[in-house]
Amino acid sequence: MSKLNSLNEKIWNFFASVDLAVALFIVISISAAIGTVIPQELDPEAIIRFFSKFMSFNASMKAYEIVNLFDLNNVYHSWWFIFLLFMFAMNLIVCSVDRLPLLLKSFKIPPKLFDSKILEKMPLKREFESSLKKDEIFEKLMNILKRKHFSVSTFNTDNSIQIQCKKWSKTRLAVYLTHLSILIILIGAIVGVFFGFRGSMNIIEGTGSNFAISDSGKPISLPFEIRCDKFEVEFYENSAMPKDYRSYIKVIENNQPVKINGKDSFIIEVNQPFTYKGFKFYQATYGFQPSEHSEFRFTFLDKKGKEHQIAAHFEEKFKIPETNVVASVVDFSPALGVDEQGRLFNMDTNMINPAVLVEFEQNGKKIKQWILSKIPDTWDTPFGKLKFNELWGAQFTGLQIRKDPGVPLIYIGSILLCAGLFISLFLRPVQYIIELEDRKVTFFYPSLKGVVLREKEIDKIIQELKEEEK
Amino acid sequence: MSYQTIAIAGLLYILAMPVYIVYILTKSRKIGYVATGTFCLGAVIHIFGFVQRFREMYEINHSFLRSIPLTNLYESLVFFVLCLVIGYLFIEWRYKKKSLGVLVSIIAGITISLIDLLGISKQVQPLVPALKSNWLLAHVTLSFISYAAFGISFITGLLHIIMDSENKKSFKYIFSTFLLGFMLFMFLSVIIDTTTASNPKTVKIFHSTLGNPSSFISIISWLFLLILIFISWQYGGFIKKILMNFKIDADFLEDITYKAIAFGFPIFTIGGLVFGAIWADQAWGRYWGWDPKETWSLITWFVYAFYLHAKFIRGWKGSKISIIAVAGFIVTIFTYLGVNIFLSGLHSYGSM
Repeated sequence: MSKLNSLNEKIWNFFASVDLAVALFIVISISAAIGTVIPQELDPEAIIRFFSKFMSFNASMKAYEIVNLFDLNNVYHSWWFIFLLFMFAMNLIVCSVDRLPLLLKSFKIPPKLFDSKILEKMPLKREFESSLKKDEIFEKLMNILKRKHFSVSTFNTDNSIQIQCKKWSKTRLAVYLTHLSILIILIGAIVGVFFGFRGSMNIIEGTGSNFAISDSGKPISLPFEIRCDKFEVEFYENSAMPKDYRSYIKVIENNQPVKINGKDSFIIEVNQPFTYKGFKFYQATYGFQPSEHSEFRFTFLDKKGKEHQIAAHFEEKFKIPETNVVASVVDFSPALGVDEQGRLFNMDTNMINPAVLVEFEQNGKKIKQWILSKIPDTWDTPFGKLKFNELWGAQFTGLQIRKDPGVPLIYIGSILLCAGLFISLFLRPVQYIIELEDRKVTFFYPSLKGVVLREKEIDKIIQELKEEEK
Repeated sequence: MSYQTIAIAGLLYILAMPVYIVYILTKSRKIGYVATGTFCLGAVIHIFGFVQRFREMYEINHSFLRSIPLTNLYESLVFFVLCLVIGYLFIEWRYKKKSLGVLVSIIAGITISLIDLLGISKQVQPLVPALKSNWLLAHVTLSFISYAAFGISFITGLLHIIMDSENKKSFKYIFSTFLLGFMLFMFLSVIIDTTTASNPKTVKIFHSTLGNPSSFISIISWLFLLILIFISWQYGGFIKKILMNFKIDADFLEDITYKAIAFGFPIFTIGGLVFGAIWADQAWGRYWGWDPKETWSLITWFVYAFYLHAKFIRGWKGSKISIIAVAGFIVTIFTYLGVNIFLSGLHSYGSM
C-alpha cells in the first residue's frame, strides 16, 4: 500500500512540477516550428519535392519515410502532438490543484513578526531620522499608509514597533485564473473538433447547393439550400488586385426563401460572414467557370432614348429592338488587353475588363465589334448604344462553411486569459516592513524584484512624512 | 509626403546620439535637457509623420479604423521604431536615467534612415479585402506595441549578459558576443542585399553574401562573418567598460528587461493572439489554423511564458534569465519578418 502511495506521489509531483511545464513549453514550441517548415500536406510527392531541394533524391525518399513515421507532415493533428497538449493540460490542472490551496491558506495565516536578523538580510533598506516621537510618527505613518490603500498589521516589541504593510496581495490568485482560462480554451477546441465541422462549397452564380465538402473530403448535407443570386468582384483601378467581392445569397428551406428581419436576400463579404442555424458562411474565394446557362446581359438604348434589357446565351441570336438587326455573341474575354503591336489579348481569368465580340447581321451584311463593359466609347454601334452589363452565371463563389459549438468557450477563455494576465503582471503584490525605534524609522523591502521603483515609493512615503512633520 | 517627415525624425534621432554621449561625459544637466529635447522633437515629428500617413491612407480607404498605416513592411517598421522611442522616453522619465539614450537613439535613427534609403516600398497602397476589417487597428497596433516592448527587453537583456559575464570562455559571454557579431553581419548583409537587388520587391536575405551564387564571394562572406564574430568576442569586454562608464548597472538592466516583458506579454496576448483569433474567426472561418504566423506567435508566447515561469517560480536570476529574453526577441523577429521571408502563409502581405 505504501509503495502504491509513493508511486502516486511520484506521478503527482511529476505533473505538478514547473520543470515539466518548462520542458513542455520548449518541446511544443519546437514541434510547432517543425510544422511550419515541413509542408503540411498528405501528398507524398509534395514532401519529397520539398526535401529534394536540399538533398539527393534517395535521401529525400528516406526523409519522407521518417516524416511519414512521425506524422511530421501532419504535425498538429498527430497523436504525439495531441499527447503533448494533453500533458500540458494535465500539468496545468495538477500544478494549480497542488499550489492553489497553499496560497489560499497563506492568506489566512496571521502575519508574524520579522526577526531583526531576517530584516537585515533584505535587499532594500532605507533609514530616516525624525524629529518627532515614536507615537507621533506612528500615527502619521499609519495615515499615509491608509491613504495609499495598504493593509497594515503592527507588532509592539520592547523597544520598537514593527509595521507590516501589504497591497495587491490577492492578485497572486490571478495566475490560476490564467491557467483556468487556458484549460477553457483547450476544452473549447476539443468541443470544436468533436461537435463541429468545417467545409467549403462552390456555388455557380444562379444556382444553389445544399451540401458542402468537409475539409477531410466528405460530403455533408445541409438542412437547407444556399442559392447564389449574384456574385460580384470589384477591382482596384488598372490592377488585378481585388478591392471587394461579395455574394448575394438566399436561404431556401422547405422550398421557401427564409426571411430574417423581413429580408430574404443576404450579402456575404470578406470579413462579413453570414450565420444561419449555427452554420456560419464565409466568403473565401471565387473563380471563373462559364457554363451552359451563363447569360450575356446588355442594355440597349434605341434611337428614341428608350432602354431595353437583353439577355442571351453564347452564340445565341437575339434581335436588336426597333431594328431589323440580328446579333450574337461570338467571343468573350474576361480581361481584354491591348499589346504593344495593338493586338488584342486576354490578360487574366479574373473579370477585370470583361468584353464581348458581338456580330451584327443586317440584310445579310455582317459586322463584328468588341464591346467592353468598362469603356463607354465601345458601346456605340451603328444601330444604337449597346451597353454590355455583365456575363451572369459564369463565376462561382467559394464559401467556407463552419459549425463550431466550441467558439463561445474560446471567447470566454480568451477574456479570462487577458484579465488574468493583466492582473497578475500589472498589479504585483507589494510588501514593506517598517521598524520604528525611538526617532529612527527604517523601511525594508523583502525582494529584489522591481527594487528601483519600490525605492522611489519608499522615498515618497518618507517625503510625505517629512512634510507632515512641519 | 509622410515619408519625408519621417526621414527628418530619423535625422533628429541620429543627432540626439552625440548629445547623449556629451551628456554622459560631462553630466551637465543643460546638455541632458538638450539631448532629451532633440530626441523628443524627433518623436513629435515622427508622430506627425505617422498622422500624415494616416490621413493619406484615409483618403483612399475612407474609414478611420481601417486606415492605420501598418499594412506593409515600411509602415510597420516606422511604427515599431515609434513604439520603441516612446517606450524609451517613458523609461527615461520614470527612472531618470538617460544612459540608454545613446543606444536607443542610434538604433532608432539608423533604422529610420535605412528603411528610408533602401528600396522598400514607401507607397501608400490600397487594402486587399482580407485586411478590410475594424480589427486591423486593434490587432496590428497592439502586436507592434508588444514587439517594441520585447525589443527593449532584448537591448537591455543583451547588455545585461555582456555585463554580467566574467570571463571570455563562459557560455553567456560567447553567446552574447556571437549574437552581436552575427547581428552586425546581418545588418550589413541586408544593406548589400537591398542595394544590389534588381527588384526591391524580391530582396532575399543573405542572397548577396552567404548565399551568393559565386562560391568565391560566398566563402569570403563566411570568413567575414567569422571575423566579425571573433572581433565581437575579443572586444566584448570593451562594451562592458563603456557600459560601466555610462553608469548602467546590472540590476537596472535586469529590472527593465523584466518590466518590458511584463508589459509586452499581456499586450501581445490580447492584441496578437486573442484579437488575431477573433479576426481570423470572422475573416477565414476559424479562430486558429496553424498558419505559420499563428504558430510562430504561439512559440513567441511560449518563450516569454517560459521567462516568466523561470523568474517567478524557479527564481532564476541574473544573466541566466536574460538569455531567455534575448532568445524571445529572436523568435519575435522571426514571427515578424522571418515568417514572411522564409515561409508562406496567409499573412503574406507583410512582404517587402
